[in-house]
Amino acid sequence: MRSARAIFLFAVIFLLATNTLVRSVPADDLAVRAHKLQFSSIVIDTHDDTTQRFFSKAGFDLGKRNSDGAIDIPRMREGGMNGIFFSIWIDGHIMGPTAIQKALDQIDAVRENVAKYPKEIVMARTAEDVRRAHAQGKIAALMGVEGGHMLGNDIRMVRIFSDLGVRYMTLSHFYNTEWSDSSTDKPAHNGLTDFGKEIVREMNRQGMLVDISHVSDKTFYDALEISKAPLIASHSSCRALCDHVRDMSDDMIKALAAKGGVIQINYEKSFIDQGYKDASAKATGGVVEIISQLKKTCGDDEECFEREGAKLEKRLTDEGKLPHVSWERIIDHIDHAVKLVGADHVGLGSDFDGANMPEGMEDASKLPKITEALLRKGYSEGDIRKILGENTLRIMEQAEKVSKELQAQP
Amino acid sequence: MRSDVRRTMLFVSLCLAAFVFVETGVSGDDITARARNLHFSSIVVDTHADTTQRFIDGDFDLGPRNSKGSIDIPRMKQGGLGAIFFSIWIPSKITGPIAVKRALEQIEAVREQVRKHSQDLVFAKTAAGVREAREQGKIALLMGVEGGHMIHSDLGVLRKFAELGVRYMTLTHSGNCEWADSSTDRPVHNGLTDFGKDVIREMNRLGLMVDVSHVSDKTFRDVLSVSKAPIIASHSNCRALCDHPRNMSDEMIRALAAKGGVIQINYHVGFLSQAFRSAERTHPEINQSIAVEVQKRCGEKEGCQLIEGDRITREYVEQGKLPRVDWTKIIEHIDHAVKVAGIDHVGLGSDFDGANMPFGMEDATSLPKITEALLWKGYSEDDVKKILGENTLRLMEDVERISRELNTTKRN
Repeated sequence: MRSARAIFLFAVIFLLATNTLVRSVPADDLAVRAHKLQFSSIVIDTHDDTTQRFFSKAGFDLGKRNSDGAIDIPRMREGGMNGIFFSIWIDGHIMGPTAIQKALDQIDAVRENVAKYPKEIVMARTAEDVRRAHAQGKIAALMGVEGGHMLGNDIRMVRIFSDLGVRYMTLSHFYNTEWSDSSTDKPAHNGLTDFGKEIVREMNRQGMLVDISHVSDKTFYDALEISKAPLIASHSSCRALCDHVRDMSDDMIKALAAKGGVIQINYEKSFIDQGYKDASAKATGGVVEIISQLKKTCGDDEECFEREGAKLEKRLTDEGKLPHVSWERIIDHIDHAVKLVGADHVGLGSDFDGANMPEGMEDASKLPKITEALLRKGYSEGDIRKILGENTLRIMEQAEKVSKELQAQP
Repeated sequence: MRSDVRRTMLFVSLCLAAFVFVETGVSGDDITARARNLHFSSIVVDTHADTTQRFIDGDFDLGPRNSKGSIDIPRMKQGGLGAIFFSIWIPSKITGPIAVKRALEQIEAVREQVRKHSQDLVFAKTAAGVREAREQGKIALLMGVEGGHMIHSDLGVLRKFAELGVRYMTLTHSGNCEWADSSTDRPVHNGLTDFGKDVIREMNRLGLMVDVSHVSDKTFRDVLSVSKAPIIASHSNCRALCDHPRNMSDEMIRALAAKGGVIQINYHVGFLSQAFRSAERTHPEINQSIAVEVQKRCGEKEGCQLIEGDRITREYVEQGKLPRVDWTKIIEHIDHAVKVAGIDHVGLGSDFDGANMPFGMEDATSLPKITEALLWKGYSEDDVKKILGENTLRLMEDVERISRELNTTKRN
């Protein structure tokens, strides 16, 4: 019976071995599934400040893999990002006709740089344009104007910007506009003025999404009441996890979602990590304060800004004055928002190239980590696709629909 | 000859004469009918009207038939106008970002009129767009920026104007801009500056027609040497017939034509008639008193100023203070330009709603007279079609083609 025992032993060992193998496959299987999911989805980032780099004196090539910054075509490809909103931004203190002309220059810079790589990236206006670009294997480039000061206090500029391809406008940036209050300025208008409300109505008519990142809470509630289309928070996170005024309270997120809107999570360290936010406020006075300081050193030189900002950041972290922040905080914010309002109302608005990124999410190539983390957390593939981009496409479609309806009216 | 034979021959001759006379009368009706057919089967393109100022005034809409001014939808249809370039214009003395903003306001005002009247109007950006409009039975609206001061020396702004549908830019208006001299200002830049030449090159790349109406002779010559595409003179006349610096000398017209360009004849009496021009020069107080009266009637409203300026000038003519100019002067300028430049290089650029119109060409409804007059002069139907619009469409197509070639070269 020696052979039978041998066979039996062999069988047991074999079974044990295969069992072990089978148990280790699910982990690899998840990574593979995450990769497949990421690279078959439309992944839209609703806020990137890369536009500023187009004005770089040193020259910035969107088509080359850059060693600095967070966005360029190779790294977007690596990260599976195929929809990007370039933000049109100028300092909120600049107003009137000058602000309009500078906005035109920024819109021009986006178009001119995108036009350099027609095989890789293409301008898009509508949800359908984004889907078409994806089908063609190209990245869809869109634009959002970050701050109503760029209207030059003239409602006709809403139409002009819309005609030039702008698909959302953040009602204010750091400072109040002539007609809306910012969350980081002293209240002056009690939210939106009557003119501000007219602007929201005109944005609805033009199919331009109303973006309430940056605005004061009262401005948010005013916009919510007036707008006939869902709102977007193009780059905001959750105040319940990090009590920064730039973030949205749970009540605000619920109100946004109740009207069909989407909160697109921002990766900025001081918006996602309470410890970092508190330490940063102590060490530097906070984001707005740092920017004011850097302006004194750098004036309008955006590259000086980036350089000096990064140096300051590193120095304070090395000195232990600022804590390290892991990219996983992003997942906490996504998860919190989903638990609050469901997977239909959350998306991604990195603030790449315009903010301080957490460790592990330095640039677009790291995006697949988000998908994998959500899968591990038990999110369904359908829900992840929504968060990655389908939710954003849905509200774009709704804004387009509202626009058509309003324009059909006499 | 016997007297009865002579009488019979006389009678027969008279009958023959009568017959010939009657036949000629039938030919006269025939030309009128042919002219109508020709006019309304052609694409009639007007490359310059200032009606935009009336949109900005805020109390004017293109839809209804207006008793003032020269352009609205009913009268364009009655006159067989198939395409019109509305000018985007602000005074030369307004510069900087405000100039950019006001240009945007006007561009938006034109676009808004098209949106409001989409059953009659359609926005066009290309020659194909104009032809397509005709197929749809609509009038094509296009735009030209009248004065380089409106880009505030910013090529990005130029590109955005192009994106919003502007298809030509007149390099200056009556005053110099930062990079080009005007024909009605003191020379400062000796034509085009280096940046001005960059503007021309970028316009070529964008497929924007370079418009040399208003510019100084030196600016014109500089443009000729830099531009890779043919050039338009969107609303200019012949200096040989009326010596206004706004008009083009025969040498300039020949040079324009040699490069494939088109001179689009302007209906303003001060550019058509030497007598009128001389009267204005001899009596500058006349224009001053017109200006005072215009200011009284209109204040700051530009559209009103232009329309009332035209009406007051008429009143002065009727009072004998200024000479009467007949619309047929337009035909003289067309004819002279054709003789100098050739049939392929002349078109129509009325300056409706921006100038003082001659008697008989008060508004767009009178346009068919031009076709009839040219036929009477012996122009062939094909030649008339060219003048009415085909030359302008060819010029647009050439400029578009060169733009494509330049962009392909750039990418390669």
